[in-house]
Amino acid sequence: MPLVRFFQRIPDLLVTLILWCYFLFGYLFILPLLFIPAYIFAENGAAALQNLNHFHLKCFFALTRFLVPRTTFKISKDVRDIHSSVIVCNHLSYLDPILLISLFGRHRTIVKHTFFKVPIFGRLLKNSGYISSGARDMLGPAMINNLEDIKKHLAEGGILFVFPEGTRSRDGRLAPFNKGVFTIARYCNAPLKLVFINGTNRLFPPGHFLFNTHEFNEIKLELIGSLEPDYKGNNFSISSVADETRKIFEEKG
Amino acid sequence: MTRQEIEQEVKNVFHREFEIENPDMDADLRETYEFDSIDAIELLLAIENFLSTEISQEEKKQAINIRTINQICDYIEKIAKQRNLFSPA
Repeated sequence: MPLVRFFQRIPDLLVTLILWCYFLFGYLFILPLLFIPAYIFAENGAAALQNLNHFHLKCFFALTRFLVPRTTFKISKDVRDIHSSVIVCNHLSYLDPILLISLFGRHRTIVKHTFFKVPIFGRLLKNSGYISSGARDMLGPAMINNLEDIKKHLAEGGILFVFPEGTRSRDGRLAPFNKGVFTIARYCNAPLKLVFINGTNRLFPPGHFLFNTHEFNEIKLELIGSLEPDYKGNNFSISSVADETRKIFEEKG
Repeated sequence: MTRQEIEQEVKNVFHREFEIENPDMDADLRETYEFDSIDAIELLLAIENFLSTEISQEEKKQAINIRTINQICDYIEKIAKQRNLFSPA
């Protein structure tokens, strides 16, 4: 059935072009007009940029819902209501981080260090308060400054979302967890909210250029656990918290 | 708190958090045990727990470039002395 597949791909291609054009043109041409004044004049420049980014991506997903009616989104209220917490998620698709940004106005995350090298975009990431995963940015006193910034951000009601697997899962299985996120949560004395993401890999599969618009799909974000470890306890161990978190994700998966 | 207790607690932390038994007290942590900055933060937080005291931002920045376990013990000893928690053996 190569002919059928070919005709199925036409709407996929059109939707992909429209969505990525909106995404890129927004960042390159429309948003800088708002980003620059917001950053200069707002009392908290990073928060202003985060809110603009949030608004842009909210529109991106509104457009996605309109263009891909066969995909529905189910995001539970307890996920939307999360604040002052570190959100730990599984990672399936490039859509995961932008979906989370579209849900939370005050957000921070750890971004692959190569994105910081992209002209304009890298600058925007830095000024928005995102943290580079690069070892150079997490060394020495800069590390403490970054952590103190995150602590303040969480105390003000923001969230930090992190994918402890570090990369997208190609087969839906959980990759080994990086324990760094749990150390950050401990430093900030913040609760951990475990959010299970499902379905984003069917809409935008890893390794593919096109959105999959022809299959019926449900994208679901679910709060599967809340942990408030006793960080100050004598027997506290990062490894146990990481293991407990992983176990909850494995039971869900 | 004595120097001996400090050394024992640091060894406990290494065993509990990093699965390292009987670590070499003078080995370079980055080279020998592949320590990174996140591990250093983890260690700092464990030190805070052990001393039951808050370590200031400036004190944390001083600790972040420590290389060996003996230096970690010196650092804890210095903080403990400043807070009158240290008693010479």
